[in-house]
Formats: sequence, C-alpha cells, structure tokens
Amino acid sequence: MTLSFTNADWNAILPVEIVAAAGLAVLLADLFSGRNNWRYVSIVIGLMGVVAAGIAAGRQFGHEYDAFFGGFMTGGFATVFEEIVLIGTAGSLLLYSTIGPSPRVAGTVAIMLWSACGAMLMAGAANLIAIFLGLELLSLGLYALCAAVDRKTARESALKYLILSSTATAFLLFGAALLFGATGSVMLSDFNNPSLASSPLFWMGAGMFLIGLVFKLSLVPFHTWTPDVFEGAPLPVTAFMSVVTKTGALAVFARFTYDALPPGVAAKLLLPVWIVAAISMIVGNVGMLAQVDLKRLLAYSGIAQIGYIVVALAGGTPLGLRYAIYYLTAYAFMNLGAFAVAASISGSDEDGSRLSSYRGLARRRPWLAAAMTIFLLALSGLPPTAGFLGKILILAVTLANGYIWLAAALIVGTAISLYAYAKVIRAMYAPEEGPHGDDLRPFVPLAWASAALCAAVVIAMTFYPLTPSNVLPLVR
Amino acid sequence: MPLVLVSILLPIVAGALLVTLPRGDRVLSRAIGTVVAAITFGTVLAAGTGDWSVRWLSRPFESAFHFGATPISYWIALLLALCTACAVAACRVERTRDFVALLLALEGTMLGLFLARDLLVFALFWDLMLVPVFFALIGWGEHPATAWRYFIYNFAGGLTLLLATAAFGVIYGSTDVIGRGGAALAGGWAPWIYAGFAFAFLVKTPVWPLHTWMPPTYSGLPSPMVSVVSGVQSKAGLYGFLVIATALLPAYVHQYATPLMVLGGISLIYGAVVALVQNDAKRIVAYSSLSHLGLIVIAIASANPLALDGALVYIVAHGLFSAALFLLLGYVEEREGTRGLPRLGGLGWMNPRLGGALCIAVLAALGLPGLAGFAGELLILIGVYQAGYVWPVIVALVAIVLASAYMLRLYQDIMNGPQREDLPIRADLTWLEGLAVAPLLAALLLIGVFPKPLLVNAAITSAQSGTLP
Repeated sequence: MTLSFTNADWNAILPVEIVAAAGLAVLLADLFSGRNNWRYVSIVIGLMGVVAAGIAAGRQFGHEYDAFFGGFMTGGFATVFEEIVLIGTAGSLLLYSTIGPSPRVAGTVAIMLWSACGAMLMAGAANLIAIFLGLELLSLGLYALCAAVDRKTARESALKYLILSSTATAFLLFGAALLFGATGSVMLSDFNNPSLASSPLFWMGAGMFLIGLVFKLSLVPFHTWTPDVFEGAPLPVTAFMSVVTKTGALAVFARFTYDALPPGVAAKLLLPVWIVAAISMIVGNVGMLAQVDLKRLLAYSGIAQIGYIVVALAGGTPLGLRYAIYYLTAYAFMNLGAFAVAASISGSDEDGSRLSSYRGLARRRPWLAAAMTIFLLALSGLPPTAGFLGKILILAVTLANGYIWLAAALIVGTAISLYAYAKVIRAMYAPEEGPHGDDLRPFVPLAWASAALCAAVVIAMTFYPLTPSNVLPLVR
Repeated sequence: MPLVLVSILLPIVAGALLVTLPRGDRVLSRAIGTVVAAITFGTVLAAGTGDWSVRWLSRPFESAFHFGATPISYWIALLLALCTACAVAACRVERTRDFVALLLALEGTMLGLFLARDLLVFALFWDLMLVPVFFALIGWGEHPATAWRYFIYNFAGGLTLLLATAAFGVIYGSTDVIGRGGAALAGGWAPWIYAGFAFAFLVKTPVWPLHTWMPPTYSGLPSPMVSVVSGVQSKAGLYGFLVIATALLPAYVHQYATPLMVLGGISLIYGAVVALVQNDAKRIVAYSSLSHLGLIVIAIASANPLALDGALVYIVAHGLFSAALFLLLGYVEEREGTRGLPRLGGLGWMNPRLGGALCIAVLAALGLPGLAGFAGELLILIGVYQAGYVWPVIVALVAIVLASAYMLRLYQDIMNGPQREDLPIRADLTWLEGLAVAPLLAALLLIGVFPKPLLVNAAITSAQSGTLP
C-alpha cells in the first residue's frame, strides 16, 4: 500500500499550517527589523497568524473529513478545541507587550506559535501517532519557552518541566505501545471493540496512556510539578501553559474516553480518573490558600478548575462534553484575563505576579482592579460570570449522570477556593496603601485591551451560554 | 423596556455610573443616589405584578430570565426600595461616592432576587447580593475577619442553594417555577433538595446555630448599609422559605416542621437573652433581629394560612423598624462617637427629635399595638396556635416580654438619665436627617393600623402568582 497525501489532507490542517507559517514570518520580520527589536512587530504578525488560523478553523466547523488516513479528524470537535487553543495563544502573545527582554521576543513568539501548532494537532488527532506528534511539538517548544528569561527560577522551571514532562510522555508512549500491541492498530476507532475488554494488555496500555494524560492535565497526584514550573516560567508562558497545554491534553482525553473505549471498559477504567478529579478539586483549592504568588495561586487554581472540567465528562454524555467545552472556554478567558492584569502591573521583573503588589490596586488602577475582580469572581464561580453558569451546568449534568459524590466534591472544593480568591480581592480594595504607594506602571494598551476583552467575554458568556452542539462524533 | 427590568437595572447602572463623579464627592453622589432609589421605588410600585421573561437555557433544564412580582415579593421589593432610599439619604460615611454606589448595587441585586421568577436566576442574585456587602465590609468594616465570616458563611449557603437548584432543575426539567402553581416535588432526591434550600435560607436568615456571622457583620457595617442588610437582606432566606420551600416542597416543610420550630424557638430565646446583656447598641439590635426572625421561622414552619400572612406582615414590619433602628443608632454614634450603652446617656435632653424617633422605632420593635410589629406578631401567634403548636407560642410570648426589656433598656440607656459631661453635645436631627427616617416610621404606623393590603393570602400566593389586593 502506498501512502500518499492529497490536497484535502493538507487543507484539513490548514489552521496549523497558518500558525506555523506565522512563526516563520515572525522570525523573518525580526531579521529585517534590525537593531530596533520592536516587539510589537512580532506580536502583531503572530496575532494576524492566529486570527487567520481561527478563521480557517472556523470554516471547517461541521465539515467532517478524516485527513491523513484517520490521523487528523476535522469537524466540530477539532474546530472547537483549535479555537480555544488559538484564543489561549493570542491571549498569551499579547502579554509579551510588557514581559520579557526585547531582543528575545521574536524568538519566543515564534516558538510559542509552533507550540500552539502541537496543541492544535492534538485537538484533531485521532490516532496514537498524531497524538504523540502533537504532544511532543507542544512540549518541546515549552521547554525552551520556560527558560527564555535570565532568571534562576526560570531555568529551574524549564529543567523540572523537561524531566517531569518527559516522564509523563514515557508513560503515554509506553501505554500507546501496549495499546498497539493489544489491538494491532494505532487508530483510536479500532479500540472500541468489545473483544478487547478481556485483554490485560489493553487495560495496561489504556491505564498508562491515561496516566500520561492526567500528568499533562496536572491532576492530583501528578500535579506537583505545576506550581513550581508556573512560578518560574515567564508570565506569558505561564498563561500559555495554563490554557493551551491543558486544552490540548483535554481534547485527547475527551476523544479517548468518549469514543475509543470498549463499552464495558469505560466505566471501570475511568473510575480512578473521576476519583482523581474529585481529589484534584479539593487539593487544588486547598493548595491555593497559602500562596503568595499569583502564578502559583493560579497553578493550584488550574488543578482544581481542570478537575471541574473532567468531572463534566464523567458519564460520557454528549451534553457533558458540551458543558466541559463551555467551561474550558470560560476558564481560558478567566485565566488569560487574570494574567493580562498581572502583566499590566508588572515591570520586567514580573513583580505583578506577587500578591503583595495587588495591595491598594483599586486606588491606583481602578479599572484593572475591577477587571481582576471579575476574573477572580469567575474563577470562584460567583455571578455574574461564566464561572457561575459553567458550574451550574456541570453540576446539573453530573447529577443527571448520577455522580452525586462528584457534585458534592465540586461544591466542597468551590467553598474552599473562595477564601483564596477573595483574599486577592480584599488586598486590592482594602483601604490601606500597598507597598508601592503611587508608583504606577505605564499604560500598556495591548495587555489592557486583553484584560478588558476577557472581562467582557466572561460576563457575556453568562447571558449567552455558547455550547457548540455538533462536536460529535470523535472517532470513526 | 418593561418596568420590572428597569427597577432592577436602574440602581445597578446608576451605581456604576456614580464612579464618574469626582473621588472626594459627598453631596452630589448622595443626592443622585437618593433620587435613583426613590425612582426605583416608583418603578417597583408602578410595575405591580407585570412580568418579563427571556429564555436563558434550554438544556439541561429550562431556565429563563423571568422577573415579576408576586404579591409577596411585591411588598418586600417595596420595603427594599424604601429602606435603600432612606439609607442613601442618611448616608454620611467617608468615601461617600463608592459607598452609595455599593448601596445601589445592593438594591439592584436584591431586587433581582426578590423579583426573580426562576430558581436559577434567584440563585444567581443570591450570590450576587453578597458581593456589595463583602466590598462594604472590606472597605468600611471594623475588622477584616468580619468580611470573611460573612462571605464564607453565606457563600456556603449559596453553594448548597446552587446544588439544590441544579438537582431541582434536572428532576423537574425547568427552574422557571417561582410563583407558578403545581410544581411540587416529592420523593427521591426531594428531601435532599429541601435540605440544600433550607441550609441556605437558615444561614441567611440567620437561625441559631448558623448565626455567628451576623452580630459582627451588623455591628461592623456602617449604619446605612446594615439597615438595608438587616432590614431586607435577612429576609431573603424567609422569602425563600415562603416561595420556594413551602411552595415547591410542601411535604418536607410539613415533615420537618418540628426541627424548624425548635431552631426558630432557640433563636427566639437565645437572641433575646443575649440582647439583654449586650452593651454595644448595634449588637443589641442584631441579636433582637435573631430573636424576631426566629418567630417568622416558626410561623413559616407551621404552614398555617394566618401565620403565613402574619409572617409577611412581620417581615415588612421588622424590615422597617430594624432599618429605622440602625439608621437612628448611626445618628447616635455619629453624635457621641460611641455606641456603648455604659458610655451613653441623657442624649434625649438635647436631641428630642432623635429621641422621639428612636422611641417610635423601639416601641415598634417590642410589639406595641398600633405599630406594625404588633400586627405581625399577633397574626403569627394566632396562626401558630390554630395550627396546633402550643409550645412555640409560649416560647414566643416569653421572648416578646424579653423584647420589651432589652428594647427599653436600649432606649433608656441612650436617651434618659443625666447628660454625660464627657460626651460632646451636638445639635438635634437636621430636617434632612429627620426626613431620611420619617418614611420608615410613617410606614410602621400605617401598617400598624392598616395591615390589610399586606394580607395577600400568602399560603396560596406563595405557590401562585395572584393579583394584588
């Protein structure tokens, strides 16, 4: 059998190609910008690429096609996750307007774009090879991005991420090999075969594959790398990891658990995952309580938030997937917004990530404080934000699927998280002055615009719950 | 735009627009706030029971932004609008502009709560109305821990409410059920749903032993805010009991009537006894609130039609006199720089108008016939007795006697006795200060002699949207 790819195959991954080309264009433009190193050129070219890719991905919505012999499936699901990845990428790129040394911005922007390509591949990947390819493309870029500032913690962060992420990849890869051994196929669609339910090889393979994914999702007990890595990495990279990496991993997780498991296997195999998600909601929120650094706080918050999203998938109903996507979208905007505010009050030393620099922010920067309040309210699930509606949708679908204990864990976790989020709000609005007094960072249009846009979307999504309906099927 | 929507959005939008005023502004923001609150009162009055609805969710259950007054919520909404207008008019705190904005936001979110006809929208505004108070506690409160206690207690209640709402929606298929007959739920998860609602409502009311957030919150907040919080926000739980628990899960209100009454009875006595020995004037009123609202909890648990009618009258009456009491105690504190009863005394000599106003409010609180408190208490006691519950009536009578003791002590220690030489002597109420509490006192008198419009047959209208009398 000769394998040859048609134009249709290349068209299917058009959004990925556009983003990859944009990365190249950023580097080329940087060559011509001479010694000025004007960072906005890189950011704007990157954003244009992201927007173009977003349009291209949007045009594929509903057009189902299995490119590369089933390696990449276009259609609803891939489009939705690609868009979330692109939103996360755009939001992270905008933060480079304040953060990072100018000469390196072009390089980091290019690497970030290529990392995003990996996440987009994961969004549509329907066989083990494509999944691995996407995951590695995503991770390899991130190792470099983490180390892209002159800071000891950044190098430590990169090294930690490299070692732990490689371990996770090893699990995933070994699991994939076992799955191939059990089924003789790399296609996810071939795994949904009742005869596999009695194959120990398949169970082991699927289990290790899931461990690798849970690692990438940073659910407890595979979460310990997250706070350290998030803290050390540059602010835009932290934002990118908190949204894009998790989106990619979640896409693969959803595809694998929804359609790629034999009927009897799913309930038993996935029970530990739901338990892990429940523990994550508690541990992540408890972990937030003692943090004094915004990046660490949001790292723990992310552990819990991803727990909420995974809970929505318990039961494997189409509605659950839709609400998981809704919450993931909301989560992307909340996190990106919070990071945009942090970037807006940061200097090059990223002091905006220290919680102490939020003291008295309402006096100094009332609009930024208001936006930050919206994001924190959203993260804690208070109205009038998408976080509130997302929580109730997830609660409803969890209860309807009969997972009452998961709903209870979600409620308990949320109650714990409140203190940690509200602590930041209190710091911003308490009458006493912060350490900086009236020291104001300059107005940063791009980061401010990003924060404003995210705040508007987070509120608007409450009143217009956008949950894409035709995201199924996931494998064929 | 429908009036009911205007009445909810107007205070919120106007409050947000206030921040365009200069930061140090005192007079203008107060004037605008008072006018906005007064207009809101007018729109609530004019909207009547007209409703407005737009679809929100169709899956996993149907839900709509559905607003409109039921006969019960109509009166509570009017109470809220009146209390807010008075509170804003009486508002003299530092950073007036921001504080008035928060008061208006509080009014809007609470109007949203009381006018909501959809459970999910109710839950949304339930959480939302905590936010302005939280901000007020952060910015103007006496101790930071108070803000936490308030927020975490009430948010925990909000979460069980949310869980119960989701479960109700999943089982019933729609949450657009407030004031709509025939949506009763029984069996299966229903007891748990009831428990979720009841926990939220009991925390908010509050009822012993979930009340510990309340005394520091009431004494820590500035007077104008606490008059609205104590006067109206504390009624959110009771309102929820009336239109959600009693209407949608009647079987369980009946089944768990005795535990509810026990909690209400303990609150009644405990609140009264603690109020007797407090020295902080605001805390006396806070604990008296615990005591009075315990009586309403008993009334609702009895599910007797007369008692339910009495509950609504008493809800409004308590809202009026506790708002008035807190505003007047705010005046006292402003004049004398303290609210400790041992330090105060003899204020009535120089402040006869303040003394007279406090006298009316105190008499209403202890249930003097002719004032609104009495009308509510009487109806409740007769109704509860009719329903066959004798011991709660006895407990309530004891507490009412105690109420006279602590309320008169409050009045005497502030107004009577020789003038204190170590306290500043300041002028009596200005006409503006007087005007700010006058509507509350007038309403107390009016309802005291003519409570009929408030007798909306709450037992039936809690489940259905009736017409106003």
